[in-house]
Amino acid sequence: MHIVLPRDASLDGHLVDGAIGYLTLTTGIAFAAALGFLLAALIFHRARAGRTRGHHTHGIRSRDRALMFTVALVMFVAIDVTLALRTSRDLETRFWRYPDADPTALRVEVTARQWAWTFRTAGPDGRFGTADDVVTLNELDIPVGRPVYLKLRSRDVVHSLYLPNFRTKIDAIPGMTTRLWFQATETGRFEIACAQFCGVSHYKMGGLLIARPEPDYREWLARAETDSRLRYDQATATGAWDWETGK
Amino acid sequence: MTTAPVPETRRREIDAQVGLVIFLGATAMLFAALLLAYAIVRSEAPRWPPAGAPPFPRGAAAANTLALVAASLALRRGWARAAFAFGAAFLAAQALLWRHLVSIHLGPAAGALGEVFFALSALHALHVLGGLFALALTGARRLRLLAIYWDFVLVVWVVVYVAVCLL
Amino acid sequence: MTAEVEASDAQADEIPPAPKGFLRRFVFSIDHKVIGRQFLFLGLGFLAIGGVMAMLIRWQLARPGAPVPLVGKLLFGPAGGVISPAAYTALFTMHGTIMIFFAVTPVLIGGFGNFLLPLMLGARDMAFPRLNMASFWTMFAATAVLTASFFVPLGPPEAGWTAYATLSTAIGAPGPGQTLWVVAIYLNGASSVMGAVNYITTVLRMRAPGMTYLRMPLTVWGFFLTSILNALFVPVLAAAMVLLFFDRVLGTQFFIAGTTPGAGGDPILYQHLFWLFGHPEVYILILPAWGIVGDLLAFFARKPVFGYRVTVGSLIGVVVLSTVVYGHHMFTTGMSPLLGESFMLLTMIISVPTSLLVLSWLGTLWRGAIRTATPMLFCLGMVFTFGVGGLTGLYLADITADMYLHDTYFVVGHFHLIMASALLMSLFAAVYFWFPKMFGRMMNEGLGKLHFWLTFVPLNLVFMGQLVIGYEGMQRRLYDPSVYDFLKPLLPLNRGISHAAYLLGAAQFIFVLNFFWSLAAGARAATNPWEVGTLEWTVASPPPHHNFDRIPIVVRGPHELSHPAARLLGRDWLGQAEVIEPAPAPSEPAGPAPAPGEPA
Repeated sequence: MHIVLPRDASLDGHLVDGAIGYLTLTTGIAFAAALGFLLAALIFHRARAGRTRGHHTHGIRSRDRALMFTVALVMFVAIDVTLALRTSRDLETRFWRYPDADPTALRVEVTARQWAWTFRTAGPDGRFGTADDVVTLNELDIPVGRPVYLKLRSRDVVHSLYLPNFRTKIDAIPGMTTRLWFQATETGRFEIACAQFCGVSHYKMGGLLIARPEPDYREWLARAETDSRLRYDQATATGAWDWETGK
Repeated sequence: MTTAPVPETRRREIDAQVGLVIFLGATAMLFAALLLAYAIVRSEAPRWPPAGAPPFPRGAAAANTLALVAASLALRRGWARAAFAFGAAFLAAQALLWRHLVSIHLGPAAGALGEVFFALSALHALHVLGGLFALALTGARRLRLLAIYWDFVLVVWVVVYVAVCLL
Repeated sequence: MTAEVEASDAQADEIPPAPKGFLRRFVFSIDHKVIGRQFLFLGLGFLAIGGVMAMLIRWQLARPGAPVPLVGKLLFGPAGGVISPAAYTALFTMHGTIMIFFAVTPVLIGGFGNFLLPLMLGARDMAFPRLNMASFWTMFAATAVLTASFFVPLGPPEAGWTAYATLSTAIGAPGPGQTLWVVAIYLNGASSVMGAVNYITTVLRMRAPGMTYLRMPLTVWGFFLTSILNALFVPVLAAAMVLLFFDRVLGTQFFIAGTTPGAGGDPILYQHLFWLFGHPEVYILILPAWGIVGDLLAFFARKPVFGYRVTVGSLIGVVVLSTVVYGHHMFTTGMSPLLGESFMLLTMIISVPTSLLVLSWLGTLWRGAIRTATPMLFCLGMVFTFGVGGLTGLYLADITADMYLHDTYFVVGHFHLIMASALLMSLFAAVYFWFPKMFGRMMNEGLGKLHFWLTFVPLNLVFMGQLVIGYEGMQRRLYDPSVYDFLKPLLPLNRGISHAAYLLGAAQFIFVLNFFWSLAAGARAATNPWEVGTLEWTVASPPPHHNFDRIPIVVRGPHELSHPAARLLGRDWLGQAEVIEPAPAPSEPAGPAPAPGEPA
């Protein structure tokens, strides 16, 4: 049986895999030690003919307590503290450092509804609410090699945009705008899924993320925005999604 | 303790007080959670009171407080029936207040202020109703306990009133 | 000692007459032992129903869209025996609801808590026996309302046991089914709060003379601390339910946002209220188990608990910390970094007292004389599974890892390893251990051991399998994973998990058989078949209505096993209320040795 994570096509996904790997290693060692101890007790300290009494101790000597606290603290420092420091750094320098000031970031407005995803990009002119905006249904088209900055809203219930190949997800919550950023390092077609139970067709609320090399992406965008222009209606263009305030 | 008739010993009275205090602690947590909800609703509203909300009839709501004060005082003097009457009067007055609030568009379905006041005051009213039941069922036998309960109910109402109507 | 005797006079002098008549004795009884058994049977019944639902969920995941054999036509007739997406969502909603609120809570807290607390403390009954009875019938009413929700128009609740807004409001769940669910949960909570008031008062006020807090069995500590959390945090759930009820029925908009015009509510408010309760709730469920296992490991290793005070301190530490970690259920909602990192750190800190607990268990076993009777096997199984399950919690505490693992089967595996595996095995340990005291008969040991192995192995396969599936990316609450290409390769693994689950389900018939056969025809139980010193084992099996002829006076802790002084009495344990005569001077003849189980 081959136990594998989905293919990692993202810039920062390795941080997630690294955290998971570190946890598996350290908790694995801790568990193996505890299990070894447990099995040793069961093998050597079982009641039998020559062994009818236990060792009458309450485990309250300072030696006993020192041992227990030392083990607990060593585990805490080796596993929790190490991980927390790493994660704080990763969150502050990567995951939660949104590319508000980065002009190369592709901005996408994501609307979740029961049971589909719509994605809107600003088109070649870089401004939302204009004739060349591109809106796609259940398909997110992105270029490889520059940040993709998503803002999400929901029209009805809580959904969650889940990108397994980018090791990330973010909820879409009615009444608020949430955000997510990531960057693709590989081209390809990857799956999008909804990860927050949202009703009977939650299981079908999937989509496709298509990552293209930059030139191919621009070519796709040119074609797509041509279609959009044909359908653009000033009256139905939606309002700003707080890009300037960076919320 | 069970089916045998037992004199009310001091020990049993303390048991009941301990139990009541724990119950009041649980009830206080209920109102704390509702007040937390109020705090969050209020902090997320663009302005408070919400735009378009009519002024809240503070005087009427304050007047109802007097009924609860009277009930508490009556219980301290051992007048169980008077306390019951005052408690029932409070509930009647609250019902009239709710009707009035609905008519001026401050009912539960009419916006944030209305729903917050209604949720807090409705849960409070349910506890007043429970207090009336306790009064009716145990009356003169449990005066001390009932007094503690009704004082608590009064305090909760004052907190709700101050938090929602004054602040 | 005279003062202590006098202090207990109020209890000791009056032995109340036993009630007469079928209704007073078995239906509307205020005897904690009867109420405990009522909760036990109610909970075990719902455990079975929740288990059947789990089998159906696993069937759908193993063979998406295939008609369910045997019961398919009966349960899903209109759909030709196939579980529809709507039926599937109702199944996992009710499975979770039933297991948490209507199986584990009534069995462990209502059942064993009620039966054991007065006996272990040396009391005749709970502090408030009539409140106790009310607590059971409120729980019963809750089950009636929950059952009704299956039969109303638009069907049963389908918003998950967590019932997130706005899916649980009229937006996502029109129809009375969800409203009835809200009412059922509220009634269930009311029952818990009543119980909490009773248990806390009983522990504070009704301990026998000499029963200091540090001489209480860990089982009592478990129920006591659980009751404190119940009293404080079930009301927060009640607040969430009240506001949800108002949103559904009265047009308020506490949780409603989105496209409804003027809607200014906040679905996240629901999540805050729910998880403020929800995280303490998981500790509410596990604390009795920790207490029971702590005691039983000592009993069957024939030595005292290793580090009793450290254990009690750790339990209290977990209780305190459990109140400030709830945000780890909400890491993907876009919370502020400061809040997120605080919750992460606090959640990780909880692992310190938890690991002290596990170390205490290991220390208790070490250098014991371990007897592997059925209750002990289940305790050992619990230690194993809790070890794995607890460690997997760290993955979810870490925000980086949680971004990927949140809402996947890794979470499902994690909480089932603790809730369904560790907790369930503690539950069985408790049943096998106290069955003799409750029903006056012994359960069959051979069937018990078989039940253990056929439960322990599949339990671990199922839920560790779920860890793997989640690691490979599968989301939870998914009707048909094959919709996604990246999940198609997981079908064989899902099928394997389901097969292990079927085995697990089938193995429970051994327990049912053993339970009911032993009730009717098991060997009559002695007063103290397990040879331990806590107070419930000093009275007959089952105990008389008034529990103790004389209120005992406690002179030592609950785990005095392999005590040197016991050797003189020809055994390896000392009772908590057992007074030992000092060894006579050589010139005087020694008196007759007391029989085992009798105080000196």
